[in-house]
Amino acid sequence: MIIVCLGFIALVPQILPVVHINMLIEIAFFSLFAVSYSMLFGYGGLLSFGHAAYFGIGAYTMALLLKHIAGIPLLLLLLMGGIGGGLGGLLAGFFCVRLKKAYFALLTLAFNQFFFAIALKWRSLTRGDDGLSLKRPDLYIPGLGTIGMGKIAHVYYLVVAVVLLCILVQWYLTKTPFGNSIRAVKENDERADFIGYNAFFTRLSLFTISAFFAGIAGSLFAFFQGFVSTGVIDAHMSMQVIFMTFIGGVGSFFGPILGSAVYLYFTDWVSRVTERWEFVLGVLFILLVLFARTGLIGLISMRRLKGLVGLGGKGKAV
Amino acid sequence: MKILELINVHKDFKGLKVLKEVTLSIEEGECHAIIGPNGAGKSTLFNVITGKYKPSQGRIFFNGKDITGIAPHKISRRGLARSFQIINVFPQMTVFSNVRNAILSKKKIRFNPFLRLEKLHDIYEETMRIMKIFGLMEMKDIPASELSYGQQRALEIGISLATDPKLILLDEPTAGMTREQTREAVGLIKNVTKGKTLMMVEHDMDVVFHIADRITVLYYGEILASGTPDEIRKNERVRKAYLGKKGDA
Repeated sequence: MIIVCLGFIALVPQILPVVHINMLIEIAFFSLFAVSYSMLFGYGGLLSFGHAAYFGIGAYTMALLLKHIAGIPLLLLLLMGGIGGGLGGLLAGFFCVRLKKAYFALLTLAFNQFFFAIALKWRSLTRGDDGLSLKRPDLYIPGLGTIGMGKIAHVYYLVVAVVLLCILVQWYLTKTPFGNSIRAVKENDERADFIGYNAFFTRLSLFTISAFFAGIAGSLFAFFQGFVSTGVIDAHMSMQVIFMTFIGGVGSFFGPILGSAVYLYFTDWVSRVTERWEFVLGVLFILLVLFARTGLIGLISMRRLKGLVGLGGKGKAV
Repeated sequence: MKILELINVHKDFKGLKVLKEVTLSIEEGECHAIIGPNGAGKSTLFNVITGKYKPSQGRIFFNGKDITGIAPHKISRRGLARSFQIINVFPQMTVFSNVRNAILSKKKIRFNPFLRLEKLHDIYEETMRIMKIFGLMEMKDIPASELSYGQQRALEIGISLATDPKLILLDEPTAGMTREQTREAVGLIKNVTKGKTLMMVEHDMDVVFHIADRITVLYYGEILASGTPDEIRKNERVRKAYLGKKGDA
């Protein structure tokens, strides 16, 4: 199964037209964004309304470093995007994770607006609405030489490789004692505290890690699009990642990947059919929340494919 | 040796004095029961000792070190565990995971992001050992919320004891149990806490006089008396205030 998937992913640039490769690249980095969000919300139980802040910080970090400092290797740039997002997450998380439920959600939204306002108003740095354009840098690997990023297939392979690596790291984290401590704190933070877990620190770490991966997703966005404006950091972007996660399925680790694929293809298709594509999306979201809270993954498991797919549904004990 | 020492501890909630001048010490190895009518401040006393509340005044020493006002997780890591009056477990996690949470914490790898949980055989063995002691083996893979009340109580105490504490505080371990369940629970507690220092809040006088080495009576936030079960039974003030009323016990 995994080998078939990897084989397909590897062959894509050879068999699909460019339009679809572009689409798949977008799906890849939005998948990473959605998985990072799902770690926070689905896995850690922290409903954030402002995850675009860290995606945006990652994108701006990439763009600004490229513009002002020459010669930083591409992979380091991507990492710096992640670190930028992570630092933003550490700062906001320090205040947010003290709060619970609605108060937490509102404060994350407030921080999102705060970072958005900086991006919009600090024109000398970010050029506000006009945005920053950047030239896509090439990848230099010692011993192998330079790989040009003019070719879309190369961009595709790089983005997919980085995304897969990042998702794998997050998946691994869920299998470690650290992942277990996140579950314990989500389940019962008071009890966790009384057997020696530091609930605050656990939540803050999760928030920071999630923001780090959102930042990498953002820097991949900047790298691919070659353009960064306030659209990467606004409330609409935060909504998008919530959509993707919900469509795929909140409770499952891999659901958000499916969610981002469906979301992007669906919006692409609907927006070609009607100008009012956001209306259609809104209706879809309402139906989803009312009738299929476990998302597409949940629907799949309901149709008894659970055993085949092996991703489980809601209410599964851990 | 004194394992826990409270010196002149006060706790006010916005002018309401819940604890007044509480001075108390727990000797290593003893089973110390705290009794008193509802609202006497027993649970508040536990919450102050375990760091949930900061005392308004006074100092608390655990194992010779000052622990006044430090965070619950830090107090727990020093070897002071507690169970709760209301069942307080990890409801959606399996019984196994519930106990394992405590074992991971005890082994100080609770936060490790590199090890794979499945590969930790010593943690697995240790968790199984604790579950066996508490008679939870058959319930290993079901969520804690699906256990019966008595089993949840056992799990509650099991989690607290699995951290291998120097001192364990039990808050009404037999609350809401039938006579039969209480007898079983007392047997279990006696069994698993052998050689450990125990401090417990308990309403059931049979239980208290059966297992406690020393008893402290709390009455409207103040210590009325402290001593062996016999001394307490004979104490005039205690009889007047508390034990005399048959219905209360």
